[in-house]
Amino acid sequence: MLDKNAIGRASPPTLNEVEKGAIRRFAEAIGDYNPIYYDEEYARASGYPTIVAPPTFPASFHSAADLRELLGVGIKSLLHAEQGFDYERPIFAGDRIYVSTRVSDVFERPGMSGKMDIAVIEDEGRDEEGNLVFRARRTLVVRAAKETV
Amino acid sequence: MPARKLYFESIRVGDELPALAKAPVDRVQLSRYAGASGDYNPVHVDELYAKSVGMPSVYAPGMLVMGMLGQLISDWARGGQLRRYNVRFIKMVWPGDTVVCKGRVSDRHGSGGRYFVEIDLWAENQKGELVMKGGSQIQLFFSLEDENRQRSGQSPIVVEVPRESLVVPAPASASSEAASSAPTAPEEEDEGTDEPRNGASSKKTAPREKPAAKTASLPAAKKAKK
Repeated sequence: MLDKNAIGRASPPTLNEVEKGAIRRFAEAIGDYNPIYYDEEYARASGYPTIVAPPTFPASFHSAADLRELLGVGIKSLLHAEQGFDYERPIFAGDRIYVSTRVSDVFERPGMSGKMDIAVIEDEGRDEEGNLVFRARRTLVVRAAKETV
Repeated sequence: MPARKLYFESIRVGDELPALAKAPVDRVQLSRYAGASGDYNPVHVDELYAKSVGMPSVYAPGMLVMGMLGQLISDWARGGQLRRYNVRFIKMVWPGDTVVCKGRVSDRHGSGGRYFVEIDLWAENQKGELVMKGGSQIQLFFSLEDENRQRSGQSPIVVEVPRESLVVPAPASASSEAASSAPTAPEEEDEGTDEPRNGASSKKTAPREKPAAKTASLPAAKKAKK
């Protein structure tokens, strides 16, 4: 059973600079060759100010969060069960986004082999003016390490 | 030149998104995604490690598959703005697997000059097994005229469009293959049918699973005992 006290624990905002090369490599890795991710002129002609990032690009952002610290346990394995994003606006090349991570919930759920520990982790990205850009929400099945840690 | 845009006025509940068949996942792609995402979890890139923890091989991170399904949305909703996108990971995707992304409009609504469509999304492997399902909300201009007005600083076209959710006549038997294959993810299936509904909309009832044009030539999938 994970520690309920973990709920609300958060990491301080960490700056992520959105680079064109990073967007390109991310889109290439998905195999998505939509020119709005690669070609500035095309992106502008499509109504964007510049190159756009793919919807799941926030997955590449880093935050200061260490899940072990946030959850307060050693972690044997994590299984990603669900993921969601809410977007205030698209993310563009050149954006400077501050990402912070927080434990939004911790609970048990009956699983196929006994109870499972679930942690819901929320990331929040804000621009330099503090405006919300996106929220991301991960639901993880956590297997805590045994006492041997 | 950018492709033509999608406008709210031309979308109907029940419309299907053109299926997107991705190239088979291979280990090079898994490495590239690890590098691009910064997630170097060895279960996705280190074959020996993956085997040492009981996996038949490395497997694709769920976020890669979510990225593929995201491509389906962006390819379809050109000119739209993604507002929400969420998925549940159901089955692992292995090297050699081909992910086919599908979607269907489940609702459309608008008020105060803002227009939204809701989409049901899902991804299947080459065996037709459900590997991921989810949904998305996209905001669109009502029409080209609406976009032109707003881009020139005028007020939007305002049409009140109440939600018009698909009425599903409880097709208990409809959830065949996909739902019956046991999910690898440990969470319980808490929803009834994962299959796209058919018959609910007047126009798109014909072949219930339009195979993606490109799925015809699936590569011999070497895969996964589990």
